[in-house]
Amino acid sequence: MRAILAIVRKELSVYFTTPVAWVVLVVVAFFSAQVFAGALDGFRMVATRAGEIPGGAAVVERMNLTDTVVARLLGSVGLLLVVTTPFLSMRLVAEERRAGTFELLMTVPVRPAEIVLGKYLASLAVLCAALSLVAVFPAFLSVAGSGAQGGAAIEWPTVAAGLLGLFLLGAAALAVGLAFSALSETPVVAALLSLLVLSGLWLATLFTVGAGGAARNLAAGLSASEHLAPFLQGRIALSDVLYYLSLCVLGLFVAERAVEGRRWA
Amino acid sequence: MIEVTGLTKRFRDRAVVDDLTFSIPRGEIVGLLGPNGAGKTTTLRLLAGFLPATSGTARVAGFDVFEQPMEARRRIGYLPETPPLYDSMTVRSYLRFVAGLKGVARGELDGEAARVAALTGTSEVLDRLAGNLSKGFRQRVGIAQALLHEPEVLILDEPTVGLDPIQIREVRDLVRALGGRHTVLLSSHLLPEVAMTCSKVIVLQDGKLVDFDTLDGLIARHLPGRKVTLDEISFLEEIFGKLVTPA
Repeated sequence: MRAILAIVRKELSVYFTTPVAWVVLVVVAFFSAQVFAGALDGFRMVATRAGEIPGGAAVVERMNLTDTVVARLLGSVGLLLVVTTPFLSMRLVAEERRAGTFELLMTVPVRPAEIVLGKYLASLAVLCAALSLVAVFPAFLSVAGSGAQGGAAIEWPTVAAGLLGLFLLGAAALAVGLAFSALSETPVVAALLSLLVLSGLWLATLFTVGAGGAARNLAAGLSASEHLAPFLQGRIALSDVLYYLSLCVLGLFVAERAVEGRRWA
Repeated sequence: MIEVTGLTKRFRDRAVVDDLTFSIPRGEIVGLLGPNGAGKTTTLRLLAGFLPATSGTARVAGFDVFEQPMEARRRIGYLPETPPLYDSMTVRSYLRFVAGLKGVARGELDGEAARVAALTGTSEVLDRLAGNLSKGFRQRVGIAQALLHEPEVLILDEPTVGLDPIQIREVRDLVRALGGRHTVLLSSHLLPEVAMTCSKVIVLQDGKLVDFDTLDGLIARHLPGRKVTLDEISFLEEIFGKLVTPA
């Protein structure tokens, strides 16, 4: 336990004394802001136009900021996570090997599972920091905006479900990235491999188009984006949670085996 | 304290360490000597638990390195061939980190880091980034790291590599002072080094142990009738030459 904490502290200090974590946070904040501003502008335009046509007022009544603005924002953050998490996970193990510090980790009384877990927890902490930046946007809306008939502008349960979905997606992506970091010789290779696999999982949904039957079900079942969609609508389904959790477990298992096996090479 | 029986390590079909058997009693300082590629580093890696053996056993402080790795590692301080430093960490946070890995309680991290820094003469660089240190300091921080948590056994892979003559003397004095309290196994290809710090010498050649004795024993066997003192260190060079060069 003490060793895991020592590793978490060290990884966090490396994350924040090197540019990696900062760059990822800035990228997430910048692109979230772009998407948020765009979605908000779209919402405003639709609302203004709707007011000009007969019966439009009823449409505006049914529109809400959570579904039209925040859900769009969170959906885009999903893609951002797929693209940025490989850079958070790439050096976790591969860098130790490059710097020769792997030999230290393998000769102190710490189990490979503890090393993997400590590193994973540290990367989850950076993920949480990124998601809390994203959460600033709905928080801003809930302060500055107002809902129909003077209700709350933001349905927080829906937003919370969306953030939970993003956390699970990010956690799964980091576990996959950690596995590749443990399997690769250099951080760059680890980043490229995990980017390839994660974007493959994200885009698997494309194969549902035009396909039918079992192929369609398989593509939808494998797709990381298909499993995120229900969360964004405020639905937390067991199958979606299990999808991400099994990716986490698989990634961590492979990482642990790879760290343990590295000594045997 | 260190008992090695039939230790063998093969990479594919090449035996890098071939049927080593020796034992080192508590408190002794033993030098591992051999030409490059003789298997010194591999032997030390096996003992430190970094590599698994192909066959044979190794026990450190009574624990089998391969069967009870955690118990054995708790009692070993290990300096790998390249000092395992993180360039983006300060020496202080690095020593605290390694002490944490070795199970030092949180409140004692600073004291333990200061203790080993004082022993190795690295107190003045505690707040510098490891990446900015000279080779000599990197090496000494590597030794400092091995001393954390007072291990019973120290395994040092070429502890004086990259040091200047004055630093070499300091490290030599340090290692000598560690003997008695710690059991030390160090590798070196610097013969004076071994002659001046070690009570016994293991000579390796192609992974095989070609001789293991005290300095006096080696002199008596290989330079019979010669009277040598430690000031005249070239004797070891002669013995070394006899043992490792094919006749």
